Amino acid sequence: MREMGRECLWVRERLPLHHYAALEADERRRIETHLTACAPCAETWRATRAALQAVDAGSAFPREAEIDWERLARETVARARAVAADASVAPWWSPSFPLLARLAALVLAFVILGVGTVLVRRAPTPEGRGGAPHARGTEAEAVVSPRSMRRIREGLARQGAARYLLDSRALLIDLVQSPARCRRSGPEIDISLEKARSRDLLRRKNLYERDLQGLEDQRLATLLRQLESLLLQVSSFNDCVAVRQIRDLREEIEHRRILMRIDLYTGTLRGEGASA
Amino acid sequence: MEPDDVTLMEGVRADREGAFEEFVERYQRRLYRLAHVYLRNHEDALDAVQETMIKIYVARRRYRPESHPFTWVSRILANHCIDRIRRRRSHPAESLEAVREESPGREPAPSGRWTDEAQRTQEGRELRRQVEQAMAGLPENQREVFVLRHFEEMSLAEIAAARGCALGTVKSSLHRAAAAVRDHLLRSGLLPGAAEGGTGSEE
Repeated sequence: MREMGRECLWVRERLPLHHYAALEADERRRIETHLTACAPCAETWRATRAALQAVDAGSAFPREAEIDWERLARETVARARAVAADASVAPWWSPSFPLLARLAALVLAFVILGVGTVLVRRAPTPEGRGGAPHARGTEAEAVVSPRSMRRIREGLARQGAARYLLDSRALLIDLVQSPARCRRSGPEIDISLEKARSRDLLRRKNLYERDLQGLEDQRLATLLRQLESLLLQVSSFNDCVAVRQIRDLREEIEHRRILMRIDLYTGTLRGEGASA
Repeated sequence: MEPDDVTLMEGVRADREGAFEEFVERYQRRLYRLAHVYLRNHEDALDAVQETMIKIYVARRRYRPESHPFTWVSRILANHCIDRIRRRRSHPAESLEAVREESPGREPAPSGRWTDEAQRTQEGRELRRQVEQAMAGLPENQREVFVLRHFEEMSLAEIAAARGCALGTVKSSLHRAAAAVRDHLLRSGLLPGAAEGGTGSEE
């Protein structure tokens, strides 16, 4: 093999930046001149371009294509405005508040303060009260009322639940309809990707489980439980499973009409989420 | 003509009609990709985008035009993502990356029911996996610079301004990231004919 010259090393070192047009004009010219005369470096340049061009958004962010950006923007703007509106409701001391109402509010505030002070003085001091500082809130929590934050969280939880249901649905469909065979063993099905997705979904469900408990819908709770059981099954399988196991899974999904019920609830949850 | 980012952000700050809508449309994809860099998860990244936008709107009057809006916005997003990662740690779950690394290679089965389409899908999945691995292997600052240059096509000067760092730092991060991604993909052998050439850049 021909030994690489110093110029070749200099050029190869800079090829990634050359691909991104991130070099000075004189460096660029020097590289281009060299590439026309040096076949091995030209081949390296071709390989560099091929590799970096293969990194497309579809590979790096595989689920980006599913996003409805317009809808997301609309929802985001609506939510942000709702939060800001809650945060900027005129307080009773503001000049825009009617004078009589302001006076009444002032008197009421004094009464509440007085009663509160008396009650607090009489009440026994529980151990540790006032000692523990509040957990650090987010920037938004500092300016938004707790009620509004709770509403936003519930809205996000509903939307998260709808996405969880849809993603679970997509996973189950992939699992039973587009199986890929394992490389190392004969007739078995490779479900390693689906296993990873199941674990991911289970983790997400844990994150907003507390919010979901507030939805108080027994049928939804049942569906989520059954779905969780299916995902746990998938995540506990080996990477390569027998065709029979997939068939059993499909029968269970059909028997419990999981997909149809997901469709039903997704619409409902999204509707609630949008109006939250 | 579209306003530049600073003018647009000033419009958001001054409640100019339609400014926030335009801001969200302009930034949401970029924020999604950046959030994905941190969180490596589609759903979490989407939530992070929405929650960051809400924070930005609520705190819009605190924006100071001395800095590029993206510097401000990306710091809010980064803080949000870091909080999210901390919350994740309090809900122990198996690392997705670990699961992916363990998973064996796949290949389409030879029987008639496995079509060319399935084979292409399979190859696409494999490439996707390799790209994910290549990017996951990058340090956070390199990944951020790589995403901003490669996908968002921001100039190096814009990235430096947005991240509040020197142009030379951006350049060296981009160089290291691009070389690492290239070498990883070439080693994977998924790019026909590209591996033979070698890069001669093993550092």
